[in-house]
Amino acid sequence: MRRMTVVTTLAVALGVVGTGSARADNLLGADEGKLHLTAGFSDLDGAGGGGLVPMAFITGYGSDQSWGANAHFTNMQLRDLHLYTYGVAAGGLDRFELSYTRQQLDITSGPLDGLGVKQDVFGVKVKLIGNAIFEQDSFLPQVAVGAQYRHNDGIKHAEAVGLDGLINPKQLGAEAEHSTDYYLALTKVFLGQSLLVNAVVRETKANQFGLLGFGGDRHRGYSTKPEASVAYLVSRRIAVGGEIRTGPHNLSVDDQGNAWTVFVGWTPTKNISLVAAYLNIGSVLAPVTQVSRHQDGPYLSVQAGF
Amino acid sequence: MKLYVQGLQAVVLMCAMAAAQADTTLYEKIGGAAKCKAVAEEFTAAILADDRINFTFAESDVKKFTQLFYEQLCNVTGGPCKYTGRDMHEAHAKLAINEAMFNAIVEDLYIGFEKAHVPYRLQNKVMVILAPMERDIVKPRDFVAPNTTKPPR
Repeated sequence: MRRMTVVTTLAVALGVVGTGSARADNLLGADEGKLHLTAGFSDLDGAGGGGLVPMAFITGYGSDQSWGANAHFTNMQLRDLHLYTYGVAAGGLDRFELSYTRQQLDITSGPLDGLGVKQDVFGVKVKLIGNAIFEQDSFLPQVAVGAQYRHNDGIKHAEAVGLDGLINPKQLGAEAEHSTDYYLALTKVFLGQSLLVNAVVRETKANQFGLLGFGGDRHRGYSTKPEASVAYLVSRRIAVGGEIRTGPHNLSVDDQGNAWTVFVGWTPTKNISLVAAYLNIGSVLAPVTQVSRHQDGPYLSVQAGF
Repeated sequence: MKLYVQGLQAVVLMCAMAAAQADTTLYEKIGGAAKCKAVAEEFTAAILADDRINFTFAESDVKKFTQLFYEQLCNVTGGPCKYTGRDMHEAHAKLAINEAMFNAIVEDLYIGFEKAHVPYRLQNKVMVILAPMERDIVKPRDFVAPNTTKPPR
């Protein structure tokens, strides 16, 4: 909880530091020199992207001679789960991105009501080539590579659901409590169609983003999983679209499927970004709970920074 | 039978209209000379009000800039104008414009379009043509304008 207070304080501070109209450098010497929406939003793992899927954009509004930073809070109230994340991210020289996000999952109904899991995600992203906006005379996308070190903090309150002693995702069949995802992101804006297209390939062992550990009894190692997002640019500041993120099926206790969103993202100023989405992550731990319905519901995210 | 022929005529007419629509230039869709002039004027006004970029226009003939931008906008969108200015590389040769300044100009152009009430989708269609000019305008970080010396540290 203290961590969340720190992030909230940072978010307010970062929002205040921003110049708002971006007429000159802000108090911290950042230029807010990128176009609206091109910082992306804070995705589930804290990377600059949409809601579920990262993009090749570098977070923050600093240009190639400056830097940017932001803090975010995202709340997902799904059928039997409450998932929320908060964290901070910084972008440098429109080339490098660093992020930290805390993810917390609480099961709020069903046979596992009360169970909780926490995870830390440390991310790094590097833009390799391309400019998603300006290179309108070629099909070359903006290309970035990223890595996300995920550390599962363990399972809490298992005794409340009669699973005394369950403290680690390894006890569910996972191979590890921590792992690193690697991804390649290709992002292109087709201005003539006002369309953003984004494709990602991720090397991952993560079960439900890592909340159920990494690797498992069905498959131990890395899987290559595709992700994609498409967004229609309604205005300079508003994008509507959808995303899909596929995941590996490593655990026999969890029928992991695809996660997807339909979202509206709005950047009223370069200091604040909001995302409202419908999120569906498929069923979670269905073979254990005998509840196979999809976990879906509203996704709301706020990001403040510059 | 008569009804069938009439129907066919209607379809042919609609196809012809659609084809005519497809031939309409971007210039005409935007709203022709009057609209392009309005965009050029609003764009110039937005630049002059923008502290991130207006100082680079300190020695510019603002009226001439507006006229040249009008010609360029009209020309690249398929209008009946000839652009009488220098090419983008030459026109910006002495200006130390960085990425942030270029983005500021892009924002000002969007503002110009908005103030002239050109729909966003059409704004973007013009941007498709103008965006690649970034590589002719933006200078590398160590750029020193010709006939100037690097300021002492």
